Amino acid sequence: MLSVAHQPAVFRHLRVRLARNALRVALESGRLRFVTMILTSAIVAAFTFAIGWYLFHQLAANRIPFKGAIVASLFDLLFFTLGGMLVFSTGIILYASLFTAPEARFLLSSPARADHIFATKFQGAVAFSSWAFVVLGVPIFLSYGITAGVPWYFYALLPAYLLGYVLLPGSISALAGMLLVRYMPRNRRQFITLLILAMLVLGGIWLVRIGYAARNTLTSNGRELDELIGQFDLIRSGLAPSHWMTRGVMAAARGDLVEALIPLALVWSNGLVVYLVAAWTAKRLYRTAFDRHAGGGRGKKIFRTSVLDRVMNGLVFYLDRPTRLLVVKDFRTFRRDPTQWALLILFGILMLIGATNFRQYYKSDLAVMDKYALSLMNLCGTAVFLCAGLSRFIYPLISLEGRKFWILGLMPVSRDQILRGKFAFAATGSLLIAETLILASDLLIGLPPAGVALHAVAVAVIALGLSAINVGLGAYLPNFKETDPSKIVVGFGGTVNMVIGLSFLVCIVGLMVVPFHVAQLAEGLRNKLDAPISPWVFAGIPFGLLLGTLAVVLPLRAGARSLNRIEF
Amino acid sequence: MISVQHVTKRYGPKVAVQDLSLDVPAGELFAFLGPNGAGKTTTIKMLCGLLFPTTGTVAVGGFNLATHGDQARALISYVPDQPFLYEKLTGREFLQFTADLYGLAPEKGRDKIAEVIDLFHLEEFADDLTERYSHGMRQRTVFAAALIHEPKLLIADEPTVGLDPKSIRELKTLLRELTDGGMTVFLSTHTLDIAEELADRIGIIDRGRLLGCGTLADLQKLAAMDGSLEDLFLKITEEPGDSPATAVAGLA
Repeated sequence: MLSVAHQPAVFRHLRVRLARNALRVALESGRLRFVTMILTSAIVAAFTFAIGWYLFHQLAANRIPFKGAIVASLFDLLFFTLGGMLVFSTGIILYASLFTAPEARFLLSSPARADHIFATKFQGAVAFSSWAFVVLGVPIFLSYGITAGVPWYFYALLPAYLLGYVLLPGSISALAGMLLVRYMPRNRRQFITLLILAMLVLGGIWLVRIGYAARNTLTSNGRELDELIGQFDLIRSGLAPSHWMTRGVMAAARGDLVEALIPLALVWSNGLVVYLVAAWTAKRLYRTAFDRHAGGGRGKKIFRTSVLDRVMNGLVFYLDRPTRLLVVKDFRTFRRDPTQWALLILFGILMLIGATNFRQYYKSDLAVMDKYALSLMNLCGTAVFLCAGLSRFIYPLISLEGRKFWILGLMPVSRDQILRGKFAFAATGSLLIAETLILASDLLIGLPPAGVALHAVAVAVIALGLSAINVGLGAYLPNFKETDPSKIVVGFGGTVNMVIGLSFLVCIVGLMVVPFHVAQLAEGLRNKLDAPISPWVFAGIPFGLLLGTLAVVLPLRAGARSLNRIEF
Repeated sequence: MISVQHVTKRYGPKVAVQDLSLDVPAGELFAFLGPNGAGKTTTIKMLCGLLFPTTGTVAVGGFNLATHGDQARALISYVPDQPFLYEKLTGREFLQFTADLYGLAPEKGRDKIAEVIDLFHLEEFADDLTERYSHGMRQRTVFAAALIHEPKLLIADEPTVGLDPKSIRELKTLLRELTDGGMTVFLSTHTLDIAEELADRIGIIDRGRLLGCGTLADLQKLAAMDGSLEDLFLKITEEPGDSPATAVAGLA
């Protein structure tokens, strides 16, 4: 037998093989999905680049005072926020891969050393969680570099900065997660929930304060700049890694190479030290932490019916009783999975915080016409969120029934009723969520009644159409072999569903909403916002309604036909 | 080979295994029986070093799993009830990874891979990605990987689930051959006829307590009755006032 010194090479070889095989499968059988992923990332990166370029260009063109300090503050905020996101995302992925994944059980029952298992899982988690960092971060720095005319080594050093920076938050979250599981196993869920809620509240308050300070700064020609910069005192501290990044990147942009390299060394050396501490901790604690996790001894949780179930039952009063029971069953499954509704709450809070801040800008007459652009962005955000949410949670519903379909098959409900129930569940939930979000944000922004009504109708068409597309295609292209919903979503059917859903919402927004916003923006530019709204901007509504009707009828009909043909 | 001394394992307030003591010598096929939730899988996980006892000690090959776990695990192979395979590896690549993980020299690794592929009839699908395998194919591949480094102790949790009758027959023959060759096999199963046919000794656990341990004759003496292992098992694990009829009625 060889010593354990060969294990890192074995794991490296494993990762290479897994990546190579996954890429080959993606290119051979999932080319559509692969291309969609690349295209989506490219579009997000291009959009981020465009926004960054516009903002940096505006800073330069409008000769805003202390623009260097403003850019530095923005970079501080960006690195701090992305670092925080990396802490959470790496922590969540590592927790799953070290403590709940079947692979962890397999490796821990082998002679693989605990720190070697940790290292391979850590690298995977950091790589997986930092793609957003790359897709969002790189375009912002590129746009800054292009508008500011930075030297070539600014671009050359960027990968080194970004790579070094992902190490530190990842290592911190790995270390914290390991200690948390090892020493606080009994109450860890409550503790983590409380910690996340507290951080969300503090982060929300801080973002609102930044919003106020930024508004004061921009509307008072820099007199209140101190107030804005004061909001970043904590993250501008010399001990904050996000500030090391800002110092280094700004020095590289100025052409001060030596000043640029010192923060880079700080980022890398601290990241590596914390990683070593995390790996050493894993060597000593991982196995006992796994044991504590497996035998945490959470009290037996008793699940009961909730008043929310009765509310859902009431909302679908128009269905027959057996179908209502199926809807309540789906709703109960949904509400008992916090990862599903927590995302909704998070998105809602972010959108309303954003709308509140934009309202302050609007009140300060920063740009009267911006409310049209911002409300359109809110509508698009809500529509994309609906599309992603329904694809993730509704599309796999029929596939997930696969292995227990015989239970439904033996019940006195037809397959059409099952499909109608899923549609009613999806449509009720998405209508409630989307209408609440869009009406609240439009009213906060101060959109005129015609715009609010138009948004309400468009969002209703999108919610109903997307619900039917997801339910219908879920039945038309089911995957009964897979039990993991996330794998069903990224399969062929899920990708087709996502592409059709995105195309549908682009058509609806383009037909029903965009003409109104373009017309109002044009009026705003000509300072004629008081002019009556031309009826022609509403000409696309009948076409949108027709498309929405087709999106409801056709997929449901195709899904029902396919479901009735399937033998179980 | 296995020494379990006064082991208790708690999951919070729940006691999964209570004061369990058990010795299994090298070359023995030991069958571990018990109703659902009796503590079989917890015991197996402690034998593999996945879990640690709350009190007591578990040792394999003379190595205490709490203090010399790496040395102990090098002697063990564990086949869980739900076999794990990397979905994006082929069966052959998984076998290669296992051989590398256990530090087999490249040449020996190649020979052993060829041997287990032949032994478990994997040739037909060894170069397919394991994500396309049926449960039976997965089970055979995991068994092949478990034997690649010639373990001293093979621990198998419900090894026959998902296998066809021919594969079950071959597995039973193989397990007997392995124990005849000196390997210790610790088998957890609900299939009582396999235990009756293969095991040198049988342990029966219920509610975390070892209720009986020995040969079939020992268990018959303990239960004070002659009969099949099924009769003995039901007698030993029955609750006071319980009868097969009331147990079945309880399921209704």
